[in-house]
Amino acid sequence: MFPFLVRRILWAIALFLATTVITYLIFFIIPADPAALACGKACTPADVARVKHSLGLDLPVYQQYWNYLVRLLHGNLGTSFVNRQSVNHIIGSTAPVTASLVFGGAIFWLLLSIPLGVYSALHPRSVGDRAGMTFVLFGISAHPVWIGLILSYIFGYVLRNFVIHTPIAGYCEAISPPFGSSCGGPVQWAYHLILPWTTFMVLFAALYVRLVRANVMETLTEDFVRTARAKGAGESRVMVQHVLRNSLLPVVTILGMDIGLALGGAIFTESIFGLPGLGRRVLTAYNQNDLPVILGVVVFATVAVIIFNLVVDMLYAVIDPRIRLA
Amino acid sequence: MRKKFVLPVVLATIGALLLVASAFAGVSGSTGTNGAVAKKGGTLKVNLSNNDFEFTDPGLAYDTLSWSMLYTTNINLVNYPEKNGQEGGQLYPEGATAFPLVSKDGKTYTFTVRPGLKFSDGTAVTAAAYKRAIERNISPQMGSPVGVNIQFQKVVAGGEDFLAGKTQSISGLSANGQKLTIKLVKPNATLVSIMAMQWFGAIKPNTPYNKGGVVTHPSAGPYYIKSWDVGKSLVEVRNPYYKGTRPANPDQIVFTANTDSDQTLLQVKAGQVDVDAAGPPPTANAALGAQYGINKKQFYVGPTTCILYFALNTSRAPFSNIAARKAAEWGLDRPAITRTLGKYAGKRSDQILVPGVPGFVDYHLYAIKGADVAKAKKIGGSALKGTVTVMHSGSPASIAAGQITAYNLKQMGFDTKDKLVPGSIYYKTLGTKGLDFDIARAGWCADYYDPFDFINVNFDGRSIQDANNVNFAYYNNATLNAAMDKAANLAGAARSKAYAALDLSIMKNYAPWVPYSSLNDVFFTSARVSNWVYSSYFGEPDFNALAVG
Repeated sequence: MFPFLVRRILWAIALFLATTVITYLIFFIIPADPAALACGKACTPADVARVKHSLGLDLPVYQQYWNYLVRLLHGNLGTSFVNRQSVNHIIGSTAPVTASLVFGGAIFWLLLSIPLGVYSALHPRSVGDRAGMTFVLFGISAHPVWIGLILSYIFGYVLRNFVIHTPIAGYCEAISPPFGSSCGGPVQWAYHLILPWTTFMVLFAALYVRLVRANVMETLTEDFVRTARAKGAGESRVMVQHVLRNSLLPVVTILGMDIGLALGGAIFTESIFGLPGLGRRVLTAYNQNDLPVILGVVVFATVAVIIFNLVVDMLYAVIDPRIRLA
Repeated sequence: MRKKFVLPVVLATIGALLLVASAFAGVSGSTGTNGAVAKKGGTLKVNLSNNDFEFTDPGLAYDTLSWSMLYTTNINLVNYPEKNGQEGGQLYPEGATAFPLVSKDGKTYTFTVRPGLKFSDGTAVTAAAYKRAIERNISPQMGSPVGVNIQFQKVVAGGEDFLAGKTQSISGLSANGQKLTIKLVKPNATLVSIMAMQWFGAIKPNTPYNKGGVVTHPSAGPYYIKSWDVGKSLVEVRNPYYKGTRPANPDQIVFTANTDSDQTLLQVKAGQVDVDAAGPPPTANAALGAQYGINKKQFYVGPTTCILYFALNTSRAPFSNIAARKAAEWGLDRPAITRTLGKYAGKRSDQILVPGVPGFVDYHLYAIKGADVAKAKKIGGSALKGTVTVMHSGSPASIAAGQITAYNLKQMGFDTKDKLVPGSIYYKTLGTKGLDFDIARAGWCADYYDPFDFINVNFDGRSIQDANNVNFAYYNNATLNAAMDKAANLAGAARSKAYAALDLSIMKNYAPWVPYSSLNDVFFTSARVSNWVYSSYFGEPDFNALAVG
């Protein structure tokens, strides 16, 4: 187990360095000069030079990158070119919003997809199975932006005077809402996230229904399931201990990777519902050529994905001895 | 000698006239579209779709959104009143008791700060507050955009040495009690307008230099910033020590950042949000206009200080030829290009200055109602040949404008080549001398209400450098440069007249731009908003004047 862990951590460090180098290089290949953009209208070359020096952009690229890595080792992600805010602060204030969306969404899609997938596998070609597959088709085909707009129009706007309605958009802090905030607390937090969670989970839920359905159907035909039944095990015991345990192994793996993928998908949901999360922030930074913020989010997301994958790998190694031996 | 004597007299006369006007402005308070007395109280909820404040520090903020917010918290020496239309563009002395006294040589301005003004923490506002604002704007420890954008360090005596870190104070600046004296390097008729910019609002004299800017700071205007959660929300509350005449109608103003414009439209309709500072989605304009009417209730359209145009690259053929440029003036379809912005979003134009700016006279020189291809061909003659590179950004409106322009140019006899440059690097690319383009879509919004900021800034060919240009036509003409210098030294009515003539002359004789639209801003408010007051200068409503009580 220990060599496996060391190997995975070394790969994680290499992946992390590669990601930051590529992000850094892409930024310098783009013909945008943050100093000129920050300088404003009609800057003289002397003005641009002064701003460049102020932003530390007058150094060679490799030196800027080295300085960045040194700062990173000290836990400093730098300062935004645009509003000069600490990137640590920006990440610290936006990451909880994205985490709320992603983890809440993940719980929703698992709660929906596992029962639906199992039901479809146990009742193939039934009405319920066909309804499930229709949902799968819809979830994979419909874009989150469209889903979000439709949901908020119906449940937020059209039904606003009915008992069953949701906020059209917006976010509430679960803990210590800021001064002047019109809402706050865990209940309002969850209430404001119902539609974002629903929007966010549709695609993943659709994919997971298919995954669970296929795995369960395949596992049901395995010899050990037949053996378990032949030995007289009850159907529920067969399902839970033999079928589900084996069918959900790939789900655990995919979930680790999808949480990382979901960080990217969060951009759409955050934009539609005005959630001040990482996705929304990185989109703004991209439009403003704000390298420190882009890098900060990339670093954060990379670390998050690496950690999730590491945890999944370790879990998988614990669950399945064949992985350890490999 | 005569010139030295005339300038201060003219300025003093204008000052007196503006003072009289301001007296009326002051006593009448805020009057919105309906003229009724505004209700006080409540919380004004403003969404900032796809946008956020860059800074709340007056020394660093440089975007219209931040400025429109700071307008509610700042007291400037001179300011624009909360009035709709042309009246809203007339300066009046706010933090000063009167317009400044100007020395005979036009180089020394003395302001007297109005006694009794207080910051939101109860401390008095003195001349030192304005001195500190100027110091913070120029200090190398701040990295403020002021120095680099309007080159203010070159305006005030000792500014350049201070910016270079050679001196600890600005030699041309002194504050004594309520007296603020500003000595200039040379006479500058735009100084009073410059002082109305939000960079120059009173700030506590002990406010530190800080490259990241101060976030919440005491301010002397009708409101102060209570909290700012970057990327999320900003909350303003009334300044309890403000005793001036400016309106402070809502109890508090809450700005929510980075919202979605489609969702905000629904929120405004549902009364959950009062207004979107970015306006409704352009595709909604027509339906909203039909439902609510224009400038009657809830749906408002107002002019800005922005002009949209196509820059003709005069540094190479075909548009180095005046005949080709004039042909473009007749051959481009201004109404069609304006329509790409959405309904009500712009007013057709064929000149540089926009309504409201001193010197604006509504000329109709060229094809304002649509392309006149026959006339364009006749004027252009043999100059209308070859391939024209049409440059534009990737926004839907810009792509559509580029397509219409290419179509018009083909009608005139040119071949065309499309050049799309991403919006984030568009102006930097366009500002690089020697770039491969012939005609490029561009726009200009004035930093301050003076024709200098349209004419001289955009057409003084001596300012053309290798990169970061704003003279996108790359036009350099010694005669025109001299005429612009002359106009810049004038004041009052003579200045307006000179710039009106320059506007006409540039478009008639040199035609380096094809202006096509003076930009409007469109807003949709919730049903509870009353007392609508819109500032053309900021392109935003005067938030402190809106009533939701």
